[in-house]
Amino acid sequence: MNLLRKGKSKFDSPRMGYIMLLPAALLLIVTQIYPFFYGVGMSFTDYSLLTANAPDFIGLGNYIKIFTSDPDFYKILGFSFVYTLSIVVFSYVVGMALALLLNRPIRGRAAFRAIVLIPWVISSSIMATNWKWLMNDQFGFINGLLQSMGLIDEPIRFFATAGWAQFSVTLIGIWRNIPFMAITLLSGLQSIPSDLYDASRVDGANKVQTFFRITLPSLRGVTLVSTTLMFIWAFNGFENIYLLTDGGPLNATMVVPIYAYKTAFNSSKMGYASALSVVLMAIMVIFSIIRMKLNERAEA
Amino acid sequence: MTMKRQKLADDILTYLLLFVLCFFMSLPIISMLGTSLKTSQDALASYSLFPESGKWYFENFATVLTKTTFASNILNSAIVSVGAAVLCMVLSCLAGYTLSRYHTRITAAFTILLLALQMLPIILVLVPTFMIYRGFHLTDTLLGLVLNYTATNLAFSIWMLKGFFDTIPKELEEAAMMDGCTRFGAFLRVILPISAPGISTVAIFAFVRCWNEYMVARVLIQSDEYKTINLGLQQFVAQYSVDWALLSAAAVIATIPTIIFLVCAQKYLVQGLTAGAVKG
Repeated sequence: MNLLRKGKSKFDSPRMGYIMLLPAALLLIVTQIYPFFYGVGMSFTDYSLLTANAPDFIGLGNYIKIFTSDPDFYKILGFSFVYTLSIVVFSYVVGMALALLLNRPIRGRAAFRAIVLIPWVISSSIMATNWKWLMNDQFGFINGLLQSMGLIDEPIRFFATAGWAQFSVTLIGIWRNIPFMAITLLSGLQSIPSDLYDASRVDGANKVQTFFRITLPSLRGVTLVSTTLMFIWAFNGFENIYLLTDGGPLNATMVVPIYAYKTAFNSSKMGYASALSVVLMAIMVIFSIIRMKLNERAEA
Repeated sequence: MTMKRQKLADDILTYLLLFVLCFFMSLPIISMLGTSLKTSQDALASYSLFPESGKWYFENFATVLTKTTFASNILNSAIVSVGAAVLCMVLSCLAGYTLSRYHTRITAAFTILLLALQMLPIILVLVPTFMIYRGFHLTDTLLGLVLNYTATNLAFSIWMLKGFFDTIPKELEEAAMMDGCTRFGAFLRVILPISAPGISTVAIFAFVRCWNEYMVARVLIQSDEYKTINLGLQQFVAQYSVDWALLSAAAVIATIPTIIFLVCAQKYLVQGLTAGAVKG
């Protein structure tokens, strides 16, 4: 087959291929690439929907304002990192536990796996609605359960105070992302050759030693990619918090993407919102590069 | 004997932990199902997940579908999701085939472009998209949503279809072309029919992702007439904030396609989920 591929026949002119690529390329240019450059361009202007004036080019003005005189930015950035890193760490830990359990010789694995996948496939709007109901302070199942167990006297107002709201949106963010980690790590586990485990058993290693000496090192590649993707998704994502608390109470659960969204569609400051979005992307790109470099160094 | 007992203890612990974790993972769905079967008063009367036995109440579903605008939300979501899935299927078949069969600098650049687009924060594209759509009068139209959904699902679909096409030997088209087919004819008559399972998987994936999408619809759609199912649901939250039973019934209806998808396409779902991370 390789031989055939190398032989240049009259069928191999790529012109037909380019024509077939064209519709997809055009749509991506019109709906993704053009808006991207449009957005980067807007970030250098004071474009606002509230004034009839044409937008003025203000250079790095928006960026300087974000980093030097925006009273909320660093607080929002701080919570964004806490929220994202909590999701990466805890969804990894719980996902790993689930993957190890599902990798054991159990009955009904397909059924368990389907249940584990639920948070990943249902829509964020349904997810948020039902969690709000479960965690409702008057009628919610969770408060009812905790009260009947005698753990709390007064119902917890999960979304009303700053600390609890931060806890709740992070918990639900973790819940939503466990399936990805569990399923990815499970397929990673299944690709570890079993003779590695046989060898460690012969050497008399116990389960904990086997996990840290064999399982975890074998999953290095999967871990790197899955945690990097998770960081990007969690840092970028805003439906979760937007639908649960809308960034409140008093901006306690505000993250960078929602801040950019509100700046654009509530305050109509399109230029400033675009600059915030560019900063968001820059942070992710920088993070991904650092993550890859660290890995290269560890491997070298 | 002790080893056997040890194994039994391990098994019990495994199932116990699995049940606890699975309960946590499915809690919102359980609660949604239970609450949808309660009357509105019962929903507020006790915090138990399910109604008392014998008090199952099915009226909520009929009420949602006949007395609210939810049926029109469902129709809008169906139109948008089917439209985007079909369009996405056509475009990604064409592009996926090219990426699978031609290896030139242009196809390599296109592949990198697809990967780079995955890194774009949705908000960075959404703000300008709103401005551009306004200029073309595409805001508040279903067509605008279809175009956006098609584009955002393209990368993933092209990627998956390229994988399917890669598994089909090139000799098949070449034989057809020897018999007088054009390259495109061979693609239409030979490659596409064999790839039907892969193509339908991609279409189902795209359909469910569009069915579940919220944020883009939230920004682009304003009038009630064009609201999709998730927008309708959030409108419910605002309007009927006390009627959790009715709200849950609406949520159950909205989840049906997703659950069917989960049950039928689990194998592909797992493949799609892990493809990037495990191989990468």
